[in-house]
Amino acid sequence: MTAPGALLRRAGARGGGAGGVKVLTVLGVLALWQLLSSTGALAADVIPSPAAIGVSLVGVLGGPEFWQALGLTLLSWALGLLVSICLAVPVGLLLGASELAYRSCRFTIDFLRTIPPVALVPLALLLYGATTQMKLVLVVLGAVWPLLLQSMYGVHQVDLVARETARSYRLGRWLRTAFVVLPSAAPFVFTGVRIAATMALLLTIGAEVIGGAPGLGAAMALAQTASDIPRLFALVAASAVLGVLINTVLARVERRVLSWHVSQRPSRG
Amino acid sequence: MARVAATFAWLTGRRLAGIAVELWLPILLFAGWWVASSGSASLYFVGLDSILGALRDDWLGEAGAANVLPSLRNLAEGFLLAAFIGVVLGTVLGLVRPLGNAVSPIVEFLRSVPGVALLPIGLLIFGIGSEMKVSLIAYGSVWPILLNTIDGVRSVDAIKLDVLRSYRVPAHLRILGVVLPSAAPRIMVGLRTSLSIAITIIVFSEMIGSTDGIGYAILQAQRNFEIPQMWAGMLALGVIGYLLNIGFRGVEQLVLRRHRAMNTTPGS
Repeated sequence: MTAPGALLRRAGARGGGAGGVKVLTVLGVLALWQLLSSTGALAADVIPSPAAIGVSLVGVLGGPEFWQALGLTLLSWALGLLVSICLAVPVGLLLGASELAYRSCRFTIDFLRTIPPVALVPLALLLYGATTQMKLVLVVLGAVWPLLLQSMYGVHQVDLVARETARSYRLGRWLRTAFVVLPSAAPFVFTGVRIAATMALLLTIGAEVIGGAPGLGAAMALAQTASDIPRLFALVAASAVLGVLINTVLARVERRVLSWHVSQRPSRG
Repeated sequence: MARVAATFAWLTGRRLAGIAVELWLPILLFAGWWVASSGSASLYFVGLDSILGALRDDWLGEAGAANVLPSLRNLAEGFLLAAFIGVVLGTVLGLVRPLGNAVSPIVEFLRSVPGVALLPIGLLIFGIGSEMKVSLIAYGSVWPILLNTIDGVRSVDAIKLDVLRSYRVPAHLRILGVVLPSAAPRIMVGLRTSLSIAITIIVFSEMIGSTDGIGYAILQAQRNFEIPQMWAGMLALGVIGYLLNIGFRGVEQLVLRRHRAMNTTPGS
């Protein structure tokens, strides 16, 4: 049993074959789906065929409304994430630097973090109506916590030996911060950024679906009320592609920025 | 007497100081909120005393149970479904590497669908009801469990597996006795991530397609301009979220204690 598996594994490691297998699998699943749809095993008014979704997707991508909605969604996602980073990372780094501050805030932040940001949708709607501001408030309230926690952990877990060494060489506070604390905290902060980015996209689209603020989510809600099911699926697929793109770009940025760090070295497997 | 003293010994000195350090800020914030909001004339930021009054009336006792229980039931069903599917599928995809690699683009794509984007589709397929909510929760929270299970299963010591195989230990015993326990820490990480996703999705789905539950109650309060009730609901949701997390941490410690006890062999 092991021999074919090992062979396949080696083929996968070479890289060339693996990509082909993946493409074939995706095509196979799409073909099976199409087959199920055309034979009527999947009702078209519930789950449309991939061909229908594809046709609808081309139509959606061809119109200006989609790009406008995408722009609005991306704008509030990026702005919200940026504001959260500017707020949470410096505060988190400062709080993590002091043992007293770290322990004082731990419970409070842990509690606030567990409140689902969705709970604030009604309040945000009340205060701002269905606007970009409303989305921003929600995104910031949701994305701030992972960033804050990760920055705090990052500073808190700086290697004690490294810290003491820097101190015994009489490096000043600023030098220590710049060469010891920030580099060791950076991977933690980056993990926070990745979690916050996913969270921000989820909340942006959620605020649009529920609150009706203009964007991809509102377009989905519209397609649903119009019972334009292929269009709805096409929009959802587009938002998934957006999610994949955001993940890929962030992973690439992380690899480049943190290329010197242990966690990014290839030997880890 | 001595026994009583021993029981409370942990409360003395440093422990007490430690608890005080953790608690002064929340208490101060709460007091600050109370003072700042008392006699507040603002329509939206109402006094904390009226919020607590609404909390007592709406979220404790029978009224609270009527709001909270449907949410918790849907949450539990969806989460357990996701855990079951995620662990089973993750074990298969992790053990059969070629299969896992082949379907990885599909998993990556499906996992990137923002859970809330599925709300309109869920409404179309299932309409309003707990079926829709349970399946949305299951879909949204299955991915962290699945991916972490795959990683956990793949990182099981290959030598251990080979030894088991050469002793001809049957596959189901290998999986239940060795593979899953070694993957347990990663699986728990996935479950914890999924829990917060599940809480978010349940509230979301109750705000749109529902006639009961926490999310419905909060949004309804806002629509009727019952602002203290709305705040009380948000507060209650925070407490419930926190309690669920504490509960999960307890389960995690229980599971992982077994794991640690099992893996404390010399040299590891």
